[in-house]
Amino acid sequence: MIPELGHVALIIALQLALLQGILGLVGAACDKTAWMAMARGAAGGQLLFVAIGFLVLVWSFMANDFSVMNVAEHSSRRLPLEYRITAAWGSHEGSFLLWTLLMSGWTVAVAIIGRKLPADLHARVIGIMGLLSFFFLAYLLFTSNPFMRLHPPPADGSDLNPLLQDPGMIIHPPLLYMGYVGFSVAFAFAVAALISGRLDAAWARWVRPWTLMAWVFLTLGIMVGSWWAYYELGWGGWWFWDPSENASLMPWLAGTALVHSLMVTEQRGALRVWTVFLALAAFALSLLGTFLVRSGVLSSVHAFALDPLRGLFILVFLCILIGASLILFAKRAGAVKVAGNFGMVSRETALLTGNVLLLAALATVLLGTLYPLILDAFGLGKISVGPPYFNAVFVPMMAPVLLLLGIAPWMRWGSESLPELLPRVRWQAVGAVLAGLALPFAFAEWKWQAALGLTLAAWIIFATVSGLVARRRSAGSLPLSAWGMGCAHVGLAVGIIGMGLVSGYESEKTVAMQPGDSAGLGRYEFIFRGAEEVPGPNFSAMRGTVELMKEGRAVATLLPEKRIYAKSKMTMTEAAIRYGFAGDVYVAMGEPLPGGTWSMQLYLKPFVGWLWGGALLMALGGLLAAAGVRNKGARE
Amino acid sequence: MSLWFGVGAFVVVALVFLLVPLFRQKSALAGRQGDVRWPAVGVLGVLPALTVGLYIYLGAPAILKEQALTQAQSNYDVDGMVKALEDKLKATPNDPEGWYALGRAYIAFTRYADAEQALSKATTQAPQDARIIAQYAEAMALKQGSLDGRPLELVQQALEISYEETKALELAGLSAFQKENWAEALHYWRRLLKLLPKETEHHEAIAQAVQMAERKLDLRLGGTGMPMPAVPAEPRKAPH
Repeated sequence: MIPELGHVALIIALQLALLQGILGLVGAACDKTAWMAMARGAAGGQLLFVAIGFLVLVWSFMANDFSVMNVAEHSSRRLPLEYRITAAWGSHEGSFLLWTLLMSGWTVAVAIIGRKLPADLHARVIGIMGLLSFFFLAYLLFTSNPFMRLHPPPADGSDLNPLLQDPGMIIHPPLLYMGYVGFSVAFAFAVAALISGRLDAAWARWVRPWTLMAWVFLTLGIMVGSWWAYYELGWGGWWFWDPSENASLMPWLAGTALVHSLMVTEQRGALRVWTVFLALAAFALSLLGTFLVRSGVLSSVHAFALDPLRGLFILVFLCILIGASLILFAKRAGAVKVAGNFGMVSRETALLTGNVLLLAALATVLLGTLYPLILDAFGLGKISVGPPYFNAVFVPMMAPVLLLLGIAPWMRWGSESLPELLPRVRWQAVGAVLAGLALPFAFAEWKWQAALGLTLAAWIIFATVSGLVARRRSAGSLPLSAWGMGCAHVGLAVGIIGMGLVSGYESEKTVAMQPGDSAGLGRYEFIFRGAEEVPGPNFSAMRGTVELMKEGRAVATLLPEKRIYAKSKMTMTEAAIRYGFAGDVYVAMGEPLPGGTWSMQLYLKPFVGWLWGGALLMALGGLLAAAGVRNKGARE
Repeated sequence: MSLWFGVGAFVVVALVFLLVPLFRQKSALAGRQGDVRWPAVGVLGVLPALTVGLYIYLGAPAILKEQALTQAQSNYDVDGMVKALEDKLKATPNDPEGWYALGRAYIAFTRYADAEQALSKATTQAPQDARIIAQYAEAMALKQGSLDGRPLELVQQALEISYEETKALELAGLSAFQKENWAEALHYWRRLLKLLPKETEHHEAIAQAVQMAERKLDLRLGGTGMPMPAVPAEPRKAPH
């Protein structure tokens, strides 16, 4: 009974989404106030009914209702409650339902917070978001229905993929989706601007907080995903250039470019067409990413053929969405008034150059991700594009972005003269080079990668902080958005320090250890105390005990596990990590060898935590900037 | 039927979301009745029909009838059986097998106090039946949450009568395991393992328990001489 009501709720939400789309767009075009009001009502109703559908699915998982096929396939009686709840979005169907829920949540937020916008723009934005929701609900109901039933129900389900039975996966998908879906707001604003022809500084001011919020969520989502990969996959890597990671990196790069070009449009009225293009691109790339990850194309292009309807549906939608928005863009972009002249050397130029470089980097990721898929799809052979390609192409592309990032906030809008600018930042540059060259000596070996990373990071930190200090001295106080910029840029630098040091100086060792054996790595000594069986709710684990000694003193007891999950017979490695400010100690159990011996993998990961700390700072920066823009908007 | 009430309620709520904002605009738009009338009529006509139509096409309304049927049957069976047994025992209370069956049914429904009472009657009526005594011990242990005290005495009593009583062996082993007497636990459980039919869930569970106890014993006898991390002996739920 209850799952059926969830199904009905989604069917009603589908119709409300379509009404919201049609009434919003037609109402705005024909200036019918009543219709526009109805579209807002439909948005509220849509959120209510999608939420009912989502809660019903969660309830079905909590109540072990295996007559719901989705529950039977992704849960089991022995799955702990918290994972039964998160299993609701662990499946393809459930994750799209979550996507739709977040989408209607963003829509209602726009409907409420955006009340003061011009009525036609507001209605168009809501209408476009309604059409997007309509697509997702139709996709859900007709190809990926979470409420398919089984009768008679099986006695038990086939359990959740053990990889997903982890706290990181509880928050990673919702955060990531909040980011992806959040870009739909920028997309809707861009399309609305193209339709109405109104595209000016005020428009940019309305879009910016929304885009910043989406960017904050996406940053956090990627951060949690990377952290999860680090501790759950059992070998301590934090970024793999895996297509599913690239899928989230691409919208992030486009979103990063967008928040910066929005700033130019807001402050100077310039780069309008470019900004609109980026807003379209960021959401299109979010969709592309979801399509790649969720259609099964990634694991194999042939998985696509297993359920052609699903993949085809998204592909057709992507084509319509990208095609229609590009046609609209091509037809209407010419009508957008070009305004805001700026000189060759100016903050605008610096931001635009950074933008172009970001997009070029994005293009290399896109190429590296799609090219193998396309080759495979046409039967031209299998190639794999891995870290060597991305490190060789992506990293050099980002280095000039980082150089610009330090200096751009120092530059004046409109025009700047280099002879005046350069002396102002010369000490920061000299300091950065010195710090970058000197600091690697503190480690075992001087490495140029570390030196480069540290130099760039030091440059960003010195230039950003001194820039803010100078600005505060001249203006008396700093607006929130400046704090946000500082926080985000310093966060990026902190992240780069983490990346540079961990890739330059991580050390690892694989040893066969008997109980009582010890192995040394760096300044640490690892003493293996044996492994014992520990029962879990739906798995059984061999838990090793490793005592960690540093310079003769015991500092921690690490308990890595090797788990075998009962239903799927999958083996999982649960690494034991001692987190630290200056680096992590990471122990994972390898394979059991005869006679109580285990192969153990020991890693030292210097400064790896700075990666995620940096990402957190960046997200905080985005939040401050969003608050700053909103405050400013409220004052005006 | 109640499903369709739910569908109706949902449709009404959806209409409220659509029509309330529409009619709130109406007062402001005295001259433009058409703007309000047509969408209202359209929505009132289309939304309910389309909801029902799509649901019949996509949903599984038939499952409710089937579920109701199977559920009524199974409910009827179990509840009816217990009820019938209670009535029968009221009429002829001198029936140890009957009280035993009722006690087990109560345990299945986690009505431990009732189970204890029923099994207490069964033991008084058949004081030499090891199977009944062991079951009584389990009911008592489930009620008080521990095997210590009277339940353990009953287990020993059952084992004195028959050393082949499976429930008593299982409980005796469990009690020893909880007290970390691994060897003693192994003694009971290994014996139990021989008595249980192979390739059943019960056999597998006991075999796992034996392995766990063996490992603990190995560690203790192996004399590695190092402190083990304290792993609380998990009181395994007695498998039914």
